[in-house]
Amino acid sequence: MKSKSFLSLLMVLCILVSFSSPVMAASGNSDEIVLRICNWEEYIDEGEWEEDEVIDLESGNVFGENPMIGDFADWYYETYGKKVRVEYSTFGTNEDLYNMLTLGDVYDLVCPSEYMIMKLMTENSLYPLSDAFFDESNENNYYINGVSPYIREIFETHEINGETWDKYAAGYMWGVTGFVYNPEEVTYEEASTWRMLGNKKFYRQLTVKDNVRDTYFAAVGAVKSDLLMDPAFRNSEDYLQRLQDEMNDTSPEMIAKVQDYLQSNKDNFYSFETDSGKTDMVTGKVVANFQWSGDAVYSLDQAELDDCYLEFAVPEESTNVYFDGWVMLRAGVEGDPDKQHAAEAFINFMSRPDNVIRNMYYIGYTSVIAAPDDGRIFEYAEWNYAADDDEEDTVEYSVANFFAGEDADPDDFVITISEDQLRRQMAAAYPSEEVLDRACIMIYFDKEVSELTNQMWINVRCFNINRVPVWAWILAAIIVGVLVFFIIRGKRLAGAEYGEERVQRRKDKE
Amino acid sequence: MKFSRKALGIPYAIFLVLFVAAPLLVLIYFAFTNSNGEFTVSNLLGFFTDPNTLGTLCYSFAIAFVTTVVCLLLAYPTAYFLATSGLSNKGAMIMIFIMPMWINFSLRITALKEILSIIEGNLAFYPFLNSVIGMVYDFLPFMILPIYNTVSKLDPSLTEAARDLGATEWNAFLKVTLPLSIPGIVSGVSMVFLPSMTNYVVLDMLYNSTYIMGSLIGSYFSAYNWHGGSMIALILLGIICLFTLATDDLTEEENAGRGGALL
Repeated sequence: MKSKSFLSLLMVLCILVSFSSPVMAASGNSDEIVLRICNWEEYIDEGEWEEDEVIDLESGNVFGENPMIGDFADWYYETYGKKVRVEYSTFGTNEDLYNMLTLGDVYDLVCPSEYMIMKLMTENSLYPLSDAFFDESNENNYYINGVSPYIREIFETHEINGETWDKYAAGYMWGVTGFVYNPEEVTYEEASTWRMLGNKKFYRQLTVKDNVRDTYFAAVGAVKSDLLMDPAFRNSEDYLQRLQDEMNDTSPEMIAKVQDYLQSNKDNFYSFETDSGKTDMVTGKVVANFQWSGDAVYSLDQAELDDCYLEFAVPEESTNVYFDGWVMLRAGVEGDPDKQHAAEAFINFMSRPDNVIRNMYYIGYTSVIAAPDDGRIFEYAEWNYAADDDEEDTVEYSVANFFAGEDADPDDFVITISEDQLRRQMAAAYPSEEVLDRACIMIYFDKEVSELTNQMWINVRCFNINRVPVWAWILAAIIVGVLVFFIIRGKRLAGAEYGEERVQRRKDKE
Repeated sequence: MKFSRKALGIPYAIFLVLFVAAPLLVLIYFAFTNSNGEFTVSNLLGFFTDPNTLGTLCYSFAIAFVTTVVCLLLAYPTAYFLATSGLSNKGAMIMIFIMPMWINFSLRITALKEILSIIEGNLAFYPFLNSVIGMVYDFLPFMILPIYNTVSKLDPSLTEAARDLGATEWNAFLKVTLPLSIPGIVSGVSMVFLPSMTNYVVLDMLYNSTYIMGSLIGSYFSAYNWHGGSMIALILLGIICLFTLATDDLTEEENAGRGGALL
């Protein structure tokens, strides 16, 4: 990514700022709002782009000159006439963030993944977004005016404890899960099923995530493949609901089945990775890896630099829609309307089309903002993926579902792409309608299920004694027998020869 | 206050209480309680009835056993020839064997990983073999040194006497030198066998995704199951105790020859 040294400098600054904050706050600068934000590492544009990195859209250039955080403070002062100072910190995993929060760190605005948002919602840690945030007539409300209808519907129809997600959360980046694969070794048909995990043809050449949720979902897809692919199931009336229920099956029986499936296929995996899968694909050590679509785009881009052309496939059974979203924490903003206003303004600023493009360019993930009326984000998608005029094998790819919703005229948002983009960055960045039709959300695991799945995850990596072959038992018995024989014999000999002497020595000592 | 020699032991006694005895008590407390803080032996029973934990124990034994045997086969001849040869600068030779230990262990394993990748192509194809190679690389000096120490202190006149009394060279070795070097072997074995049951960093770095005892304990703790994790740690401790007791008599005769001294 961009300069690491700058990032570390920024982090040092953040630490300094957070140390000095009580003093600053006490020094009476009362009209300055302090906004404490905690986001994923490298998940926001840091600015300082090279000259040639400018994104030259027809409707104007987009260029990241300064860090987004600073731009926000300037914008807020210009728009609302109040000074805001952002204390920005980062986290590595959702669990890290959760631990930070439970250990007493206080933030106003954080950006966890969907399941952590659900967990925080059940624990009543989140503060609802204000009505003003949803006021579509306010042109500064970039989020509600720009959010993709597809994402909006997910947020409005999913509930935790009788409350819809959109009451608390505003989306940031989203995507689906699938396999990045090397088309020279793996066919699209092989990669587009979760059964890929157990495909012995790719023995030791697959990676999965070292993360129980993602791998559980994939394994459920593989175990239930027959049911999920059954036309009767696919054409059933409440297909999406049934799919969601099947993929979120966390009954003890299902957990046991998943454990068995993963344990018997563990030897098929090259490694359980968190980040190394991308590099291992490029160097050719593995031929396919489980990947989030955002990282898939990054892998494909990186591989291209080395003249290696990878592809992305979304399994036919089902895929997991994931997203990261902004939520306000009760501990931070409750009772402080100024702060809440600044936090919501930050979400809106992040959702302003030019900033969306800057962030998408920097991070490589796809934003939940579509802003079809503004048009720049669609233009950016074209700028990225549209075929050149003189290209021959081209197809029309509709992204209307994301940009305009199901009711839109499908001809409105069509990008002419080269045919290979159907299995490449385009398909990963903006999944096709057909993919979204089989996508479902993975609900968070409650405490009981967490304990079961965590234990399952440990057991997967264990060597099951029932898998020890008979010859190994016999060999072990012989070895133990021989060892015991020698030890006993050695002791007897030692006892016989030196026994008296030893007794004598002990007596001498006394 | 009168200063006595016993006072010199106080710092270590404090260390012992704070960092050995107290943690052990905490470990025992967690091992025999459940998440509600009630006394239970279910953790203990759970370990011995779960095919996954038992299997992991067996797998650790297998890795440790093969590592120890390979180490012994490599180390004994080396140490024997070093100790009995007429080389004038044995110290320098021994230095060569210790030298790898001057370099950080994870750095060495990383280098080994690169070498093995060139030879094998895909490291993940041979997880067991790679783990053993990594362990042997890591622990070989711990086997050489005690054996060298014991063998070099043997009185050469014993072997000479055996030869004089008509034993062949091979017989003299088998009946005199080998039995007398048992204490060194036992020290070496205990310094290789026990650590290689838990040294999971080697496995992690060489793409062996199967857990051994060390990683199993770690995984229980990271899954917030302190009770199960403590019990496994305690069981491992018990195994080490048993092992030490079983071999104690064999080293007693020659305590001076214990190799740890040189380290």
